[in-house]
Amino acid sequence: MNKKEILKLAKGFRGRAKNCIRIARERVEKALQYSYRDRRNKKRDMRSLWIQSINAGTRQHGVNYGNFMHGLMKENIQLNRKVLSEISMHEPYSFRALVDISRNAFPGNKNVVLPTRKADVSINV
Amino acid sequence: MALLCASTSVIFSSSSERPSFASLKRTIPSNQSSFLGFFPVVALSKPSSARTTTLSFSKRDFRVCCQDLSLVPENQRWMFEESEADGPDIWNNTWYPKAKDHINTEKTWYIVDAADKILGRLASTIAVHIRGKNLPTYTPSVDMGAFVIVVNAEKVAVSGKKRTQKLYRRHSGRPGGMKVETFNQLQQRIPERIIEHAVRGMLPKGRLGRALFNHLKVYKGADHPHEAQKPIELPIRDKRVQKQR
Repeated sequence: MNKKEILKLAKGFRGRAKNCIRIARERVEKALQYSYRDRRNKKRDMRSLWIQSINAGTRQHGVNYGNFMHGLMKENIQLNRKVLSEISMHEPYSFRALVDISRNAFPGNKNVVLPTRKADVSINV
Repeated sequence: MALLCASTSVIFSSSSERPSFASLKRTIPSNQSSFLGFFPVVALSKPSSARTTTLSFSKRDFRVCCQDLSLVPENQRWMFEESEADGPDIWNNTWYPKAKDHINTEKTWYIVDAADKILGRLASTIAVHIRGKNLPTYTPSVDMGAFVIVVNAEKVAVSGKKRTQKLYRRHSGRPGGMKVETFNQLQQRIPERIIEHAVRGMLPKGRLGRALFNHLKVYKGADHPHEAQKPIELPIRDKRVQKQR
C-alpha cells in the first residue's frame, strides 16, 4: 500500500499517527491486525451479551439462565440466543411464556446442597 | 412464581399499550420448523394459564423497547429500500440503545436502608442495579442502570472481627504517605465512605464506571433530599444480607 492509502486508513488516530507516515504505518498495521482479530471476537462478544441479557430477563421471573436453557433444550425449542435476547427485550409476555415452559420442563435442581454456614463463630456486635 | 412478589417492586412505566400475542405472529424468525409449529400452540393453549396470570401481569407493566410499530406511509415508501419499508429490523440486529432509551430523568430511583445489613452483600446488589445488569436491556457501553439511595449508612454491619480488623488504606502520593485506618475509625469519621468504597470497588473502572458511581447517593441518617424522585424499595434477592443477631 502506498502512503496515501495508509494515511487514509489512519483517519481519526491520535497525535502524529494520523499525520506522519512512519508512525501511521505502524499504527495502521496494528489497527488492521486488531480488526482481523476482532471480526472473530465480535461473534463471541455478541453471544456473551445475549446470554447476559437472557440471564437478566429470566432472573426477573425467578429462573436463572442455566436452568432456563436446560428446560428449553428438554422441550426441543431451538431458538437461538440472539432471538431469545430480542424477545426478552421486545416481547416480554412471550418471554414470560417461554420461561414458564422451561420451568415446567425443568423445575430446577432440588438436590442442591447449600454450603453449611459456620454457625459456631460468634458474630461481634 | 413466589419470587414474583420480590420483583413486583420493580415497576416499569409502559409508554405503549401491551403487546398482545397477535404481535407474535407478525415477525417470527423461523429458525426451525419446530418453532413455527410451537408458538401458535402456545397462543392457543396458553389462554387458560394466561388468564390466571393476567392478575400478576397487571401488577407490573413491562416496558418494551423500540415497539413503535409505525409503518412507513405509502407516499414515502419510495425513499426506503424494500427491506426497511416495514420499519427497522429488530430480529436480525441486536438492539442498541438510542439516546431516548437512557435519559437520566426517567430512570428508576431505588432506596435501601443499610441498617444491620452485611456490607459486601448489600454493595453487590447496589452495584448490580446501578450498572443495569438486572435488566434485559443491559449494554456494557451505555449507562442503563438506576439510581440508588442508601440511608442509615453509619449502621452498616460486618461479620466476624472485621469491625476492628478491616483496614482502609489511602496514599497521599508522597513517600511515607500511607494512611491506614480501621473500619471502626472510618465509621466514626466519615461513615458514608465505607459504602462508597465498597460499591466503587464493584463498579467497572473507567470513564463509564466513574459516571455510574455518581448515581449512588449515600446518607448518614434516615433522611435524604430525593423525595421528589419517589424512590422505591430496592429488591434484594440475597438471603444472607441481613445481619443475624
